[in-house]
Amino acid sequence: MSSWEDDDSAAAAAAAAAASTDVELLKRAWRNEKASPEILRFDSPLVSRVREQIQLLEETLDDFGESGVDDLVVSLYQMDLDRTLFLLRSYLRLRLQKIEKYMMHISKSEDLLSRLSQQEQRFAKSCTEMMEKHLEQSVLSKLPYGYDSVTRQSLSSTEDDMVPEPQLDTFVFCKTKSDVGAFQLDDIGEEVVDLVADDLYVLRYKSIKGLVESGQIDLI
Amino acid sequence: MYGRRASQLLKEVDSCEAGQLVPFNSDVFDQVIRECNEHNTQFQSLIRKMVEQNLDIETTRNDDHYGAAVHHLSLLRNKRCLMAYMYNRAEVIQSFRWKIGPVLPHEIQEKLHFSEKEYFKNHSAAIKSYMSEMDIDLTVDMVPPKDPYIQVRVLEDIGEVSLGDHSISLTKNSLHFLRRTDTEQFISQFWISDMELVRKHNQADSKQEW
Amino acid sequence: MAGQSDPHLSIFSPSEVEFVAEDEIVEIVPNIRMEALNMICGDFGPFFPQIASKVPLWLAVALKKRGKCTIRTPDWMTVDRLTQVLDAERESPKEFQPLPFHYIEISKLLFDHARDDISDAYLVRSLIEDIRDVRFHKVETGLETISGRTHAVKCM
Repeated sequence: MSSWEDDDSAAAAAAAAAASTDVELLKRAWRNEKASPEILRFDSPLVSRVREQIQLLEETLDDFGESGVDDLVVSLYQMDLDRTLFLLRSYLRLRLQKIEKYMMHISKSEDLLSRLSQQEQRFAKSCTEMMEKHLEQSVLSKLPYGYDSVTRQSLSSTEDDMVPEPQLDTFVFCKTKSDVGAFQLDDIGEEVVDLVADDLYVLRYKSIKGLVESGQIDLI
Repeated sequence: MYGRRASQLLKEVDSCEAGQLVPFNSDVFDQVIRECNEHNTQFQSLIRKMVEQNLDIETTRNDDHYGAAVHHLSLLRNKRCLMAYMYNRAEVIQSFRWKIGPVLPHEIQEKLHFSEKEYFKNHSAAIKSYMSEMDIDLTVDMVPPKDPYIQVRVLEDIGEVSLGDHSISLTKNSLHFLRRTDTEQFISQFWISDMELVRKHNQADSKQEW
Repeated sequence: MAGQSDPHLSIFSPSEVEFVAEDEIVEIVPNIRMEALNMICGDFGPFFPQIASKVPLWLAVALKKRGKCTIRTPDWMTVDRLTQVLDAERESPKEFQPLPFHYIEISKLLFDHARDDISDAYLVRSLIEDIRDVRFHKVETGLETISGRTHAVKCM
């Protein structure tokens, strides 16, 4: 019986150590980004660290080639590199595609823009300009005065009513990382759920977005 | 009926397979634009008529007011349909950069409005400039990587083959562990077979037997 | 122009799910000596013949394919444990029994690459398929209860 417990605690320790690698953190960011309807905060230091590790391993692999290290070892490190590169590219690509999808919505909100990297901000800005130019020359310039705004249906609209935005009340699958305790899901306190560590839930994204931002819950 | 042509445009988008594009329908598109301007002319003339009768256009609720409202709402609906049409197409067009590349084949080009061609070019340029600022190519590695090496069985005597920096002898029935990219030419000629596929095939067969 | 959530952006493809599952830790028994691997995804080894070692599944499969190890079947992938799980899953319509989150993908990878290391492979495979069917049915029933007023559905 004791050997079982040892095994469990060793596995738990290994899992805790694995969870702290940068690649593990990047994978978590990638999964959250994939499952969240809105764009999440870009972790620049994390991405820089992963890129440094990628560069270091690329250099090491070059050295291996010269010093005649066993093919087996080389192929294993190559796979580690390929996996990390895929994860990084897929994450950056996913964010660009999300920016493409909600460019206008993102471009008009300081809060959303502040979640983007500088390069992403420039991308969002030029995407929005180009989309506006495209809609302007194909549609809006041909419409009568008063109906030619890209963000409003007409002069009688009192706020932007033509900007595609993410649906934050969509349902998401999520997993709690630690005990959160009784958590209020709606504005009026009628819906309270006890969020227990390592449980799976289907919830409205809107109600738990704060927990995603603070890292207490993972989207899956 | 007001608005019918515009909804036809959206039906075209809707009936199209996800991620695909039908030719830009300039006939219907231009007709809807003309409808918009006719609605506006009617709307303006009804408003002018009310003003000439010294009626307060904010509060008056006569036939002319409701007529003007119908023209206004029809114009809004048409505008929303036109914008949705262009916007949805633009989303498909920008996805082509990821799926196809920076140059679109002729059969796609000819489905596009001139402004859409320009949009695609500009949008591709924005992705390109992001990638060069970040110094990373995001158009590769679209799917998760596989083991770069595969185990193969040689089906025909091929003899001495040079692979990159070394050469190996591929004799019939021998097993080797090679870079996936090095094996492609031999696999396509059925000179060697990928053992993973062979195993999967055998498993699928045995599964059917249970 | 109302924004709708885009399924292509938000859904993991089967190959992406497999990619994630490949990071699950499994135990291998190497038949070679190899120095420790200090990788981006973690440090593993050193490896000695006949001495068990924990590595991610992708690494285990790579070594297995190169004939350098056997993979130990995870505890949960035995006929005894899976039979227990299946019985319990059938008895309680709401509860789910503990299994790794990616049990389908992990077992698929092991069946594809380390079939000879799994005892009673046929039986294990059919038990996993049965468990999957029971669970899919439960999840479907759970999701059907979602209505406009629903805030949360617990899945485990």
